[in-house]
Amino acid sequence: MMKAVVGFIIGIVFVGVVGWNMADTMMLREVESPYGVEETAARIQRNIQGLSANGWTLSGLRNPSKAVAKSGTNVPPVLLVEACSTKYSGPILKDDATRILSILMPCTITVYKKDDGKTYIGLMNAGLMGKMFGVGDIMAGVAKDQEIFVTFDPKKPAPPLIRVQPGGGGAGGKAGDGC
Amino acid sequence: MFKFNSKGLSLAMTFVMSLGMSWSVMASDAPAPDKVPEKVVTAAAADVFGVAVEAKAKKSTADHSKFKELDVNFKDGPAVTKACISCHTEASKQIHKTTHWSWDYINADTKQHLGKKNVINNYCTSVPSNYKFCTACHVGYGWEDENFDFKSEENVDCLVCHDTTASYKKLPGLAGHPNYKTIEWPPHSGKFKAPVDLKKVAQNVGKTSRATCGACHFRGGGGDAVKHGDLDSSLTNPDRYLDVHMDAKGLDFSCAKCHTSDSHEVAGSRYAPTAKDDKGTQIRGSLEERNAATCVACHGNVPHSGEFAKMNEHTDKLACQTCHIPAYARGDLVTKMTWDWSTLGDLDENGHRKQIYGSEGKALYDSKKGHFTYERYVIPEYQWFNGEVEFTLADTVFDPNQVLKINSFKGSANDGKSRVWPTKVFRGKQMYDKVKNTLVVTSLSDDPETALWKNYDINKAVEYGMKYAGKEFSGEVGWISTEMSWPITHMVAPKEDVVACHQCHRENGRLAGIEGLYIPGANNTPWIDKIGFAIAFLTLIGVLLHGLIRFVMHKRGG
Repeated sequence: MMKAVVGFIIGIVFVGVVGWNMADTMMLREVESPYGVEETAARIQRNIQGLSANGWTLSGLRNPSKAVAKSGTNVPPVLLVEACSTKYSGPILKDDATRILSILMPCTITVYKKDDGKTYIGLMNAGLMGKMFGVGDIMAGVAKDQEIFVTFDPKKPAPPLIRVQPGGGGAGGKAGDGC
Repeated sequence: MFKFNSKGLSLAMTFVMSLGMSWSVMASDAPAPDKVPEKVVTAAAADVFGVAVEAKAKKSTADHSKFKELDVNFKDGPAVTKACISCHTEASKQIHKTTHWSWDYINADTKQHLGKKNVINNYCTSVPSNYKFCTACHVGYGWEDENFDFKSEENVDCLVCHDTTASYKKLPGLAGHPNYKTIEWPPHSGKFKAPVDLKKVAQNVGKTSRATCGACHFRGGGGDAVKHGDLDSSLTNPDRYLDVHMDAKGLDFSCAKCHTSDSHEVAGSRYAPTAKDDKGTQIRGSLEERNAATCVACHGNVPHSGEFAKMNEHTDKLACQTCHIPAYARGDLVTKMTWDWSTLGDLDENGHRKQIYGSEGKALYDSKKGHFTYERYVIPEYQWFNGEVEFTLADTVFDPNQVLKINSFKGSANDGKSRVWPTKVFRGKQMYDKVKNTLVVTSLSDDPETALWKNYDINKAVEYGMKYAGKEFSGEVGWISTEMSWPITHMVAPKEDVVACHQCHRENGRLAGIEGLYIPGANNTPWIDKIGFAIAFLTLIGVLLHGLIRFVMHKRGG
C-alpha cells in the first residue's frame, strides 16, 4: 500500500515537473520567418484581410520597442499585429461566464528580431487556451485561422505595412472598436 | 523547469553583465539621462529656424547678417564664395588640399590610387561620365566634366558645410549647384522646388552640424541610409538610445567634436582608417600626428575600471565598436543590404519605368537600377582589421567565378595590429567586362544618348562610360557578384546596451568563426573536456562507492 502511495506521489510530481517545463511552449508558439520584421508583419496583415469572410479585421499595429527606445535604451524591433473577428469574439463577450476572456482581445501576433539576426513570429496557442477556459469550440476556429495568418506565399510581392492605429482610449462609445 | 531556469539565468546574466560594463565604459563621463547638462541648443537640434539663429548668435563672435559683403542678392554660389573669401582669405586654398575637394587620394601604405573619382563601388559604381549627378555631394560648384577648374577659389562651396538654415540643398544633376530658379523636382513629379535664398543662407552661416555633414554622408550610395548603415538622417536629431554621444538632449556631439579639423582637413578617413589605436588620450594642443576621431583619443587605453576592469583585457583583440555598437540601422530607417544590377531594364506594359515598393515604402525594384533588399537593426558581420584596405580598381583583373571583394579588409589575429571590427558587408551583382575580367565605368545619368537611367541599354552605357574614362572595353558586359565592407563606428549605444557577455561567450555566439580568437564558453578543447568529464564521473563513482561502503559497514556494525 505504502509503495502505491509513494509511486502515485512520485507520478504526480513527475507530471507536474514535465507540465511546468513544457508550459511556455504549450501556451505560446514561436516560428521563424523568412522575411524581415516589417515585411513579415505586412504579410500577416494581408493574410488577416484575406480572411474577412470569417469576420477578421485589423485592429492595430503597435511598436513596443519604439517606446523603449524613447526611454533611452535599445531593444530589437518588435511589431504587434492586432486583429479581431466578431464571429469569434461575439459569443465570448455575450456570456457572463466567458466575458472575462476579453482580456485576451484583440488577437495579437508578435513579430520580432533576435540576436541571431533572424525574424520570428510569436503566437498564442488559441486551441489549448480555448480548452482551458471552456471555449474550445470557438477558439479551435481561431487556431485554424491563425495558421493561415502565418502561411506566406513567396510568389506574392511584399505588401505595404498598414499602419493602422490601435483603438483609441477614452470611455464607453469613444473607445476604439477593435473588438 | 530547466527551460525557465535557463532563460532566467540568461536574463540575469545579461542584466549583470550590462550593468557591469556600464559602470566604467566609454561613456562613463556621460551624464545620467535625468541630468542633462545645460547648454545652448545647436542648429542641428533646432526644429525652428529662429531657434537656430538664436543659438548661433549666442555662440559665435560674429553675426554674419551684419556684414555688408553679405547683404547682397547673390546670383549664384560662386558669388557667395567670393564674398566669403574676401574675409576668410585662406579658406578656399585650404579646401583645395582636402579629399573633400579633390575626391582623389593615394594610400601611402598600399600605393593604391583611390578617392571617389577613381574607385568603383557596388552602389552607383563610378563617378566619371556621371559628374553632374554625383557632384551634388562635392564641396564645390560646377564639376560637370573632367575639365573642372580645381584651382578656382570661387568654385569652393562654403555654404554646404556652414549652412544653419537647413534650406540649402544641392540637387543631383546640377553639378554641385543648388537650384537658382524654380525647378520640377523630382523630374516629372509635378512637384516644384523654390530657388535657394542665397542671401539668407550666407547671412546665417555657422559651424558645421550633424545636418550639414549628414546632407551628404547620411545619403551616400544614392539615398538616406543606403550606404553605411551607421549613418543616416535619424542621427540628425537622435535620441540617447541611438547614439549616446550625439543624443540631441544629452551630449549633443556634432560630427566635428570627434572628427576634428585643422585648416579644413578633417580627421578620420574611410580609405585609411585607424583600426587599432593604443596611443591613449590625445591632449589638447598636442602636435602628434594621429587620427583624433578614434575612441581611444578621448577614452584612453584603459577605459574600464573597478570591478569591470576585466573588460580592458578585451581591448587588445576587440575594437571598442564591437561591444559598444550592438547593431546598426537602429533608427527609424532601413539600410540597403543588397543591390542586383543584373535585373535592370524590366519595363511595364507601356514601356515605362517600373518601380515596386516593399513593406517599408522603399523600392524593391526599379527599372533603372534592378533589385534591392533592406534591413533594420542589423547585427554586424565581424572581421579582423588592421586598417589596411585593398581596393579592386578599374584595372584589377579578377576571377569572375569567385565573389569579388570591392575592398578587402586586411588583418589577422597574429599581426599585432588588428582588432576584430563590426562591419556592414554590402552585397551586389554589378556589370563587368566579361572578356577582360575587370570592373567597368558605366554612364548612368549625364549623357542623354547613352545614360543607363535614360535609355536602359547597359551595353551602350558601359561602352560610353569606359570610353569617357579612357579605358579599353571588350564590348561584352557580364554580371559579377560583389561584396563591399564598411566599418561600423557610429550609433554608439548607451552603456547599458552594450553587447552582453553571453552574446559572444557561448556556442555559435556573435564572434563564431573568427579565427585566432579563444573565447571561453564558445571555444573548447576536446581532450580537456574529456579529462574534465572523466574526473567528474570518477568523483561520482567514488562518492557512490564511499556511501555504499559506509552503508554496508553500518549494517554490519549494527
